[in-house]
Amino acid sequence: MSQPPHTHGPHTSRLSRLVNIGIPYLWLGLFFLLPFVIVLQISVAEPALAQPPYTQLWEWVEDGLLQIQINLQNFMLIWEDEIYLAAFLNSLWVAFVCTLICLLLGYPMAYAIATAPERRRTPLLMLIILPFWTSFLIRVYAWIGILNTNGLLNHFLLWLGVIDEPLQILHTQTAVYIGVVYSYLPFMILPLYANLTRLDPTLLEAAADLGCRPLRAFLRVTLPLSMAGIIAGSMLVFIPVVGEFVIPDLLGSPGSLMVGKLLWTEFFSNKDWPLASALAIVLLGTLVVPFVLMQRLQQNMDENQT
Amino acid sequence: MKRRSWPLLGILAFGYAFLYVPILLLILYSFNESRLVTVWSGFSFKWYGELMHNHQLLDAAWLSVRVAATNASVAIVLGTLAANALVRHGRFRGRSGFELLLTAPLVMPDVIIGLSLLLLFVAMQHTIGWPDGRGFTTITIAHITFSTAYVAVVVRSRLAQMDRSLEEAAMDLGARPLGVYTRITLPLIAPALFSGWLLAFTLSLDDLVIASFVSGPGSTTLPMVVYSSVRMGVSPQINALATLIVAVVTLAVLIAGISLRRDSKR
Amino acid sequence: MAATPERRLLEPWQDPKAAPYVRIERLTKQFGDVYAVDDINLNIFKGEFFSLLGSSGCGKSTLLRLLAGLEYPTAGKIYIDGVDVTRVPPYSRPVNMMFQSYALFPHMSVEQNIEFGLKQDRLPRKERTERIAEMLDLLKITDLRKRRPNQISGGQRQRVALARSLAKHPKLLLLDEPLGALDKRLRENTQFELVNLQERLGTTFVTVTHDQEEAMTMSTRIAVMEAGQIMQVDTPTAIYEFPTCRFVAEFIGSVNLFEGKVMASEGNEILVEAAAGFTIRMRSYQPHPLGTPVTVAIRPEKMRLCPAYDPNGVNQIKGIVEDIAYLGDVSIYRIRVGEGKLVEMTLTNIQPRTEQALTWEQEVAIEWSPTSGVVLSE
Repeated sequence: MSQPPHTHGPHTSRLSRLVNIGIPYLWLGLFFLLPFVIVLQISVAEPALAQPPYTQLWEWVEDGLLQIQINLQNFMLIWEDEIYLAAFLNSLWVAFVCTLICLLLGYPMAYAIATAPERRRTPLLMLIILPFWTSFLIRVYAWIGILNTNGLLNHFLLWLGVIDEPLQILHTQTAVYIGVVYSYLPFMILPLYANLTRLDPTLLEAAADLGCRPLRAFLRVTLPLSMAGIIAGSMLVFIPVVGEFVIPDLLGSPGSLMVGKLLWTEFFSNKDWPLASALAIVLLGTLVVPFVLMQRLQQNMDENQT
Repeated sequence: MKRRSWPLLGILAFGYAFLYVPILLLILYSFNESRLVTVWSGFSFKWYGELMHNHQLLDAAWLSVRVAATNASVAIVLGTLAANALVRHGRFRGRSGFELLLTAPLVMPDVIIGLSLLLLFVAMQHTIGWPDGRGFTTITIAHITFSTAYVAVVVRSRLAQMDRSLEEAAMDLGARPLGVYTRITLPLIAPALFSGWLLAFTLSLDDLVIASFVSGPGSTTLPMVVYSSVRMGVSPQINALATLIVAVVTLAVLIAGISLRRDSKR
Repeated sequence: MAATPERRLLEPWQDPKAAPYVRIERLTKQFGDVYAVDDINLNIFKGEFFSLLGSSGCGKSTLLRLLAGLEYPTAGKIYIDGVDVTRVPPYSRPVNMMFQSYALFPHMSVEQNIEFGLKQDRLPRKERTERIAEMLDLLKITDLRKRRPNQISGGQRQRVALARSLAKHPKLLLLDEPLGALDKRLRENTQFELVNLQERLGTTFVTVTHDQEEAMTMSTRIAVMEAGQIMQVDTPTAIYEFPTCRFVAEFIGSVNLFEGKVMASEGNEILVEAAAGFTIRMRSYQPHPLGTPVTVAIRPEKMRLCPAYDPNGVNQIKGIVEDIAYLGDVSIYRIRVGEGKLVEMTLTNIQPRTEQALTWEQEVAIEWSPTSGVVLSE
């Protein structure tokens, strides 16, 4: 017997509604949503030698008149100065390449785990999650020791005789790719795994029964059905990587900039809060499209579940 | 799938090697006598000893643990409330906004969260005088904000799996809604609460970027100390610290895994 | 059967002076555009074993949940023992429910499960202990009292669930597919146990089931439901022998339906000209004007082989055996009669199979008595 949907029953009192919805809403509204309004406001202010270091957006001038000053210079600067545009493009490119590598490496891994014998799946999955629980910063740090000109990888390659002199890997774009893929791989594997385990194995058997060879069956059955997992995993990697700071800062070259690092520098070194805010706003705007895509997908999946 | 494909297993093995070799090397070199990564000059606990006398680092670690524990304890409450709202209250008004607010922190770049919260705190201090300065309170609030979203994900999936008729049965037997929640629902989702708490704790312990924005003078968290020392170059003390963290985390995850497994056997 | 007609002069539902124990008035429950329960009126009397029977999605579970208070109706009223409970929350109703999944609390022992409801009532410890012992004893599960629900079998779980819902001595016990999760053999034994238990306690039981055999065996009365409405409420015998509509006739057991028109009326019998090309004589319990379209319903076991065919005999028709289904105790024959109409006839296999009465393609004549069916007018 299918249970009728639970509505208009005695389950949810008004008080429980108020508590369960109200309190988290209030917290997130205050500490997540409101800050963006302030960022927006400061992004159109001017830097000043004051505490806090920006001009007030509005002022009560005499006669009770409210004077509002909006300064779009920061956005003009971001648009006109090549550094910022290059940083944005570079960030998107790095995020794209890393998402692709994560997908190419993560999909077969997720597939192998999902098709492993049932009792092995949990430990295999645990091993994917485990590094994620150890310090992110320290895991990035580990790569410094490995990729250094004087590091373990170069020593190993020299010992093998593959190269004659040490390679410069640390402080290059390659190091950033390695670091990002290393740190974000679990975020790709987990949604893919969740998706692939839900896949009905009899579908593949049916395809085989109908004369489909394994590779073809994979391309025409498994791959389309795991699209939701692919998109979810890709977004979980792509969106945060665009704004990544730690990895490009520790592993990347000082010359090639990414938005996250730029924002950090504007804020901490140049103390230009309005420009940093403008960068944050532009970054946010860039990420809206992939974010909405992800959100839409997730809501669809929730609806399918119920 | 009876037939295992070798290329697939190869990629799987490579993937695991990729994930674990750096960590293993890190641990290995924490026992190296020499300061240089490339030279193995003998087994030693020297760096652990130095670590134990690094007061700046220990103070930062203590602050981080306090922040992480407070954060996890508040986030578990907020996240569970949010999960209740999503699973139990159906299509309330403003639900999509609510879901947006709960998903966005999961992917939002740290620099944006950090910057925006700092600006909020500055503005609040300016207008209402609170928070007075930045430190423990502001870092904790910032961490609760994103941890809540993670906790909500964990608790929500557990809550959605729970057999609804258990709660109905309790109500039918005379328990009022609050009693149903505390005597039936909470005990049954306890494993998720436990792992949610651990997740929030680790996320907080791990955060560099947001804490850097919202901390003030005198309040330096562990990742901030690690970061400044890493920027100076490779330091075996950090290796020793990494080893300790890996040991603690592995232990915690194992305990969580065992408790979850015991629970699922029920 | 729980209450045989011989025992009492008048069953409460036949007695116009009897006050119903559960009174459902114009009850409606809407989910969006769907009417799960559609304007239902129903009276249930004290001590009844009442069944709501229907296929999935007919609204029987919703009706049960409305009685439990787990849903509130869109319109209408529910009275239990004279008290309006329409908007009383489940935790304040003198009603308990046994869930289809049993819904035993996995983190509590059998004993603690039974004690849960008693604790909610703040019964003193001594009384709780006594009540638990009574329930454990009643359902013969005393040995299991320290076990967890996952450590006992499905049949044992069913008993624990029953014990838990009976522990509070509810005025009304609701059972949602009480035997649905048991295997067939266990189910048959449990049916009788459940009826005995109900007779002993005298508690009013309302059960939901999709299994007609179960409903027939256990119930004092059955309500057949379809699309949120009650099609017929009656004793199992009446539901089977005297369905009042085509839906009920077809839903319970197998039936042969002959559509036709009333062509003559003789005393308390009518003649129906069947569309299949023959004439049927039936006892009629209500007047039918000439020419009205009616459906004659005759159960397969009411059909007989006709030893000597007489073209002018009552309800005798010729046909050809088309299909035979051997079920062991009985065989079902599908016989093509008249202008191609298939009629089902059940014969008890008195002789071993090798010497069966009929074979394929054999020409036979069948007959039935004018009193062994009903005339349905729609």
